[in-house]
Amino acid sequence: MYGGGNTFEGIKTDHLKQEDPILLAAFEARIERGEKIEPADWMPDLYRKQLIRMIEQHAHSEIIGALPEGTWITRAPGFKRKLALMAKVQDEVGHAQLLYSAAETLGKSREQMIDDLITGKSKYSNIFNYPTFTWADCCFISWLVDAGAIVNQLANAKGSYGPYCRALERICAEESFHLKYGHHCVIYLAAGTQKQRDMFQEAINRWWAPMMHFFGPADKISAHTEVLMKWKVKMSTNDDTRNQFLDMYVPKIWELGFTIPDSNLKKNTETNRWEYTEPDWEEFKKVINGDGPCNKERLEVRRIAEERGKWVREALLTKAMKYVMPLA
Amino acid sequence: MNSLDPRVNRLPEIGNPQNIQDKEQLDQFGTFEVFVQPKEGKPFQHEGALHAPNLEMAYILAKETFTRRFTCTSLYVVDTRNVYVSPITERDQNAYDLVENVSDQSKEKRSFEIYHLLKRGKQHVHVGSVKASTPQEAMSVAKNQLNAGKVFNIWSVASNDIRFTSDEEKELWLTLPEKKFRDAADYKGGEKLSSFLERRIKESNV
Repeated sequence: MYGGGNTFEGIKTDHLKQEDPILLAAFEARIERGEKIEPADWMPDLYRKQLIRMIEQHAHSEIIGALPEGTWITRAPGFKRKLALMAKVQDEVGHAQLLYSAAETLGKSREQMIDDLITGKSKYSNIFNYPTFTWADCCFISWLVDAGAIVNQLANAKGSYGPYCRALERICAEESFHLKYGHHCVIYLAAGTQKQRDMFQEAINRWWAPMMHFFGPADKISAHTEVLMKWKVKMSTNDDTRNQFLDMYVPKIWELGFTIPDSNLKKNTETNRWEYTEPDWEEFKKVINGDGPCNKERLEVRRIAEERGKWVREALLTKAMKYVMPLA
Repeated sequence: MNSLDPRVNRLPEIGNPQNIQDKEQLDQFGTFEVFVQPKEGKPFQHEGALHAPNLEMAYILAKETFTRRFTCTSLYVVDTRNVYVSPITERDQNAYDLVENVSDQSKEKRSFEIYHLLKRGKQHVHVGSVKASTPQEAMSVAKNQLNAGKVFNIWSVASNDIRFTSDEEKELWLTLPEKKFRDAADYKGGEKLSSFLERRIKESNV
């Protein structure tokens, strides 16, 4: 589960003004009452566009996120770890299917989404553009990247769009084992030999910066952000989710005797918030725009899978079947 | 391509991201709605949608996508185009209030399955079957037989259009509870962690 929905900037144009004020008021009143929006309901254009973008990026992140861990299935230490990792990777790909369906109910076809992923038009969570050199990197993803994603996803599950919430509820339930499995792997590394401990420490050193990037840059609080929060599309600010992640997991990392490569990292007991060195957002931008260590490989693997599956899809196509939008 | 993954290194070079060409358009597969029965005696509920080239493939893919993890006793799929949908209602209005009384004697009666959405954000749940000639008439019959008030949305589907699970196929899910490696409870690290922490305290006291 890799919700990167909050990572990217929203749509800039101000669609709000063009909407029918009566419909808009009824729509906002429904959200205010805590009711979910269903696909057949009227919704503002900006709401629809922003949700498509968010859910689609989330789906792509599940697909691409399965790759750095997937490469470790054959090399996972022992039968039990292989079995668990295989089940986890299968779950992630399954989650993408659920999310694509949820996005489709808003009017973008699945094929269009897959096209946009392959051509680089749609983004996915930036953290998967980094390589998994060792088993410990894979454990870092299973435990901490999943943990970060769960913080995001639990927040989004309280959002206003029915199909997305239903998908997230199912995803969060399925994820419960991923996090426990990830922590289990890391406990075994921590309690192992010095070499194993070093291996995980090095993984933390490599992954800490991307992990801080994961939640996205501080939100510029604009009218746009406010409206998306009012409509329960964006459920909390990037800084808040980052803070929540640090609150939950830094003590657990320290408990295992590992260090975090940021000498400024500490909790301010007065503000109750974490202080840290500001992540390098130039690096983040550079990687997200295609210049990261694994961008090329990630997309190429997807493209090759698409190319190789083409003859199967063509052979299975029948005239009797017709693509329509899913119902809910 | 030079990758950490030996399998990726064996892949053919297709192109680099800067000049990736759009992939060829393909007419997409059909869309199917999936219903799952989580436990014996419980009603079927809508779990989601998927795409497949035919009803039989939809059934197989539904099994992989929706019944991998939680207890399941039965599953069925239907082409989305065969689901007849009522309008969705506001506030406390009952969707059956918008269903017109239809009576059609022209065709033979067959069986239709009826589903209710009882809360926005939740799933459509199977509430029963009715006999009718058309899906519209089925809804009108359900209005008298299954209407419990406060329904936001109604679906009606001809039973003939559904790919059900046969009794033999129910074996598919018998081994699900044995797959403990997909269960969070199978990853208890507590003892290992506490013995490790004790050891660290001892070491630091030396």
